[in-house]
Amino acid sequence: MGAQVGTAQVGTAGVGTTEAGPPPVRSARAVWRRVVADRPAVFGMVFAGLAVLVALAAPLLTMLEGQDPVTFHPELVDSARGGVPLGSFGGVSADHWLGVEPQTGRDLFARTVYGARISLLVAVGAAVVQVGLGVLLGLAAGLGGRWLDNALGRLTDLVIAFPSLIFSVALLAIVPDSFPRPLLLMLIMGMFGWGGTARIVRGQVLSLRSRDHVAAARLAGATPTRVAFREILPGVVAPVLSYAAILLPSNMISEAGLSFLGVGVRPPTPSWGQMLSKATTWFRGDPLYVLVPATLLFLTVLSFSLLADGLRTALDPRATGVARRAE
Amino acid sequence: MLPYLTRRVVGAALVLLALSVVVFAIFYLLPGDPAQLVCGIKTCSADRLALVRQKLGLDQPVAVQYWQFLTGLVVGRDVSAGPNVFHCPAPCLGFSFQTDEPVLALIADRLPVSLSLTAGAMVLWLSIGVGGGVLSALRRGRFIDRATTVFVLGGMSIPVFISGLLLLMVFCVWLQWLPFPSYVSLASDPAGWARSLVLPWFALALVEAAKYARLTRTSMLETLSEDHIRTARAYGLRERRVIGRHALRGALTPLATMLAVDVGGVLTSASLTETLFGLPGLGQLLVQSVNTLDLPVVVGLVLLAGFAIVVGNVVADLVYAVLDRRVSLT
Amino acid sequence: MKRKLVLLSVAAVAGSLSVACGGGGATASGAFDPATCQGGTLTVLNQRDQTHLDPARLYTSGGGNIPSLLFRTLTTRTRAGGQEGTKVAPDLATNTGEPSDDAKTWTYHLRDGLKFDDGSPITAQDVKYGIERSFSPELPGGAPYLRDWLVGAADYKGVYAQPEGIAAIETPDERTIVFRLRKPQGDFPYLATATQFSPVPKAKDTGTNYENKPVSSGPYRIEKYEKNKDLLLVRNEHWSRSVDPNRLGCPDRIEIHSGLNAAVINQRIAGGAGADANAVTTDTQLGPDELARLDGDPELAKRVAKGNFPYTWYLSFNTTKAPFDNPKVRQAFTHAVNRQAVVNAAGGSSLAYPATTFLPEQESMGFRKYDFYPAGATGDPEKAKQLLAEAGFPNGVEVTLAHSTHSGEGDGPEVAAALQDAYKRAGITVRLQGIDSASYSTTIANPATQPQIAISGWGADWPSGGPFLTPVFDGRQILASGGNFNLAHHDDPAINAEIDEITRITDPKQAAKRWGELDEKLGQKALVVTLFHGKDAALTGKNVKNAFVSDWTGKYDLTALSVK
Repeated sequence: MGAQVGTAQVGTAGVGTTEAGPPPVRSARAVWRRVVADRPAVFGMVFAGLAVLVALAAPLLTMLEGQDPVTFHPELVDSARGGVPLGSFGGVSADHWLGVEPQTGRDLFARTVYGARISLLVAVGAAVVQVGLGVLLGLAAGLGGRWLDNALGRLTDLVIAFPSLIFSVALLAIVPDSFPRPLLLMLIMGMFGWGGTARIVRGQVLSLRSRDHVAAARLAGATPTRVAFREILPGVVAPVLSYAAILLPSNMISEAGLSFLGVGVRPPTPSWGQMLSKATTWFRGDPLYVLVPATLLFLTVLSFSLLADGLRTALDPRATGVARRAE
Repeated sequence: MLPYLTRRVVGAALVLLALSVVVFAIFYLLPGDPAQLVCGIKTCSADRLALVRQKLGLDQPVAVQYWQFLTGLVVGRDVSAGPNVFHCPAPCLGFSFQTDEPVLALIADRLPVSLSLTAGAMVLWLSIGVGGGVLSALRRGRFIDRATTVFVLGGMSIPVFISGLLLLMVFCVWLQWLPFPSYVSLASDPAGWARSLVLPWFALALVEAAKYARLTRTSMLETLSEDHIRTARAYGLRERRVIGRHALRGALTPLATMLAVDVGGVLTSASLTETLFGLPGLGQLLVQSVNTLDLPVVVGLVLLAGFAIVVGNVVADLVYAVLDRRVSLT
Repeated sequence: MKRKLVLLSVAAVAGSLSVACGGGGATASGAFDPATCQGGTLTVLNQRDQTHLDPARLYTSGGGNIPSLLFRTLTTRTRAGGQEGTKVAPDLATNTGEPSDDAKTWTYHLRDGLKFDDGSPITAQDVKYGIERSFSPELPGGAPYLRDWLVGAADYKGVYAQPEGIAAIETPDERTIVFRLRKPQGDFPYLATATQFSPVPKAKDTGTNYENKPVSSGPYRIEKYEKNKDLLLVRNEHWSRSVDPNRLGCPDRIEIHSGLNAAVINQRIAGGAGADANAVTTDTQLGPDELARLDGDPELAKRVAKGNFPYTWYLSFNTTKAPFDNPKVRQAFTHAVNRQAVVNAAGGSSLAYPATTFLPEQESMGFRKYDFYPAGATGDPEKAKQLLAEAGFPNGVEVTLAHSTHSGEGDGPEVAAALQDAYKRAGITVRLQGIDSASYSTTIANPATQPQIAISGWGADWPSGGPFLTPVFDGRQILASGGNFNLAHHDDPAINAEIDEITRITDPKQAAKRWGELDEKLGQKALVVTLFHGKDAALTGKNVKNAFVSDWTGKYDLTALSVK
């Protein structure tokens, strides 16, 4: 959504990478070897792994700090000055490692690590929906008849052309709160984000369909479903995987954007985008409150992008990674 | 070419029609009562509410409302307002529940802001992005290439509301080089207009420039390795001529395509920037309308955004065909 | 306290001098002098437009700040700071109204020499037409009271459908207007400040289009109006201080720009570059960034106009439904509340103060201090637990709290989260239910959809206990079909009778005392958990003078400001 989601979608939509033939499939071990040889990708992997670990261990980390993300500390903020944290650097202390949130006095470290959970959960969940829908519809378009292919082609056009950010804002504002928010975010982002995957899968399928082993399976009397899942699907794994890796960081940005516009996850659940949206009125009074979530969001997205880039180069020898230094 | 164009236009119209059905269905069927908001919570008795609902046309089935909307779009429609009747000429997107103004007028009012934002940002991102991409491709592996690479990765990983916030903190708060942006129209004060938009331009352009630099570099490298470039070089053509005449033109096609699509997505990409900087553009109008359940405005904006994107895509395909003679449109 | 005294004295000076116009040319720059305050352009930077500049569609609050520049009403608020500003003053009329027949008939006489901006005279018939117009369904949004108060007006459908008008509004001659009411209404002079009491010449009425070019009776007329953007006002030559003792009308021009964002407005007024030195805002409070800065910036601190618009935020629940039918549970919820955290969530002590009473702390409202179920500053969870155990909930209770999803509002997610945290300490599990801000009030006010507990707000339509307490606690105001504000569903015949009795009183002071006593009685019943009262703090530009704030509006008065 927004300018950046476009990257993932439009990149494949506008500029024809789709009609290329399938790359030679590499073994998992070869892919791994190429990824670890790629320094930026390794950085990405380490930091992204760290972010995932932090998110998973959020309760443990906050227990270690002795705080939680929802308890108010009115005594730690200056009520007369609009609730700015008492003490320097936004109230950083041995008890509150990153200081406290203005107005509420809630622990910023706890909110940050719990915020990582939402960001990652929504990004991964949305990617699962996007890839799932994309693979299914792409397979159907590639293997179905001309009519189905045409219809799905139009549908894909519609989804890619959809003003998704605008629509999501409107939709998220109106759906009742009783519907679990993170799930809703995943579904909405998934609903609008499957176009790219579908196009890639369809392209792969079209070129795989004429291959010998597929023809052989058909002749041997395999059902269309069997052909689709046993003979074709394995061939699309590599390109889909490399595309899904790009979806992750772009989903994180989308979630943050929606939360920033005030339609993301609901309080008291923290998320980075939501913290940033509150922070916009505080960049004078409490700069740290802006910088902490901003830096973390940036670094996490960056490392996932680096990892995705490394993965893409490793999976497809023809692709030149942006991050890789040209030899 | 012509049959292709016809087919694309008909297809685009169908996409928009489908979009309007979806949008209408979702927003008019969801809970929430715009009539109550118009009438006022404190001030409205049940029968007065019924009258307001009737005035807004909300007492009719959604299908009927949709039909009125469609006919208004094609031939215009009449709306009664107190003792007199207004004619809303085609294409009529309806009237705002909240302000009673034609939706089209509201949009026309805000459009210059969104256009100013995007046009300025586009100039920036094209010069930075394409320039960086070309340099990086030519000096492959050197410092400038690595710097561009870092820029591309950074730019693509930083959401526009973070880069914008950082720009605000640095230039308005710490250095105090610029006043807090407050939109001034181009016509009334060109210098003030530029000053009020310079930060939003950079914030938006940063992200886009990264995208363009990446695309330019990739396509330049591809064309540079193609046979006719090698041939040109082998024939001893000067390097500048090779690059200017041949390599750059090869990279132009995907760039122009992406640009057409991006211009179509103006409304979408600008809304976060507008929200952050408080620019009174279309994105802000959308957020406001959603908050006040001003459904005709919401529907109008979503359709407009869809329209722009669809047109952008059609133009992109045409540009692609015209620039790249290898593709023939049938 | 000291501040308020200063305000009062400034206001008194302004009031006494306002009639004497065009005195000697004292040019002492700095001090404000109404005699020499004319000239210059005042800039108003706002987030929202007026939305409807039609006197029929504007709500009460004494005619609002911007409408009051254009529309004069039968009565108006006294233009003075603090409590003095909560009094009613005559405007078009010669006095605040002559009650007769046990306050069931109210008679007004118009002043001499009143004119519209086109030079035509203002008549009692124009006032009557303006009021009847506001009954039209095409022009919703105005104050609803008259429909209920006037004899036989309940089913009136406005001037376009029923041009014959309302019989209960009589105009025996061009200068006299008489209102016949169904019941005694001592507060009628307050209601007559509402914009629907401003004159509209029938010949110029263009229905819903009227708001694009309304006829002015005030000190300014419209030069240019672009909805949601600019409203440019210039002097109305047919107005003068000799026919209007309330408005000063100092600036030659007033330019109102709307559609700006709150941070931009505050930054621009604080910065004060160019025309922004003459800028004010009527809809934007100080943001956290400015509040955090005030300590270190005395020049800026001097330019903050502070006030108190009577407004109460509280927790509402249906007291006829379990568990809130049990007074002990309601008391426990009151003991456990952490008002300090709530005040902070609402913007800190500069924008809110803790509320233990339903009536805000204002004399004109009839404020009486009480705190029957004390929570201290941060709550008394132990006492709450004990009461819950006595009520049969030794293991605590679980409830759903509704709030608006609009961030930064008194009923927004921040306050909700603060309550959730405070109640957790008392063994009360609170689930939050966010409702989008557009449908929040409607959902709460409809008994069919009313949530278990909700954060609710109540503001006065005029500074008296009547409109503050009646809709919220009068049993006859429970509306089953929606638009219900008696969220407690409280119906006590004794209370209802007492309300009727106070409503007859035409002396505001005496009435205020009785409303205060009533509030205390209601407080003892723990029908709501009062959270906080709002405070107002807005910036003025460097050159702006005479920015006193009345307790009626909580804002400085545009008709009094000067930029010279």
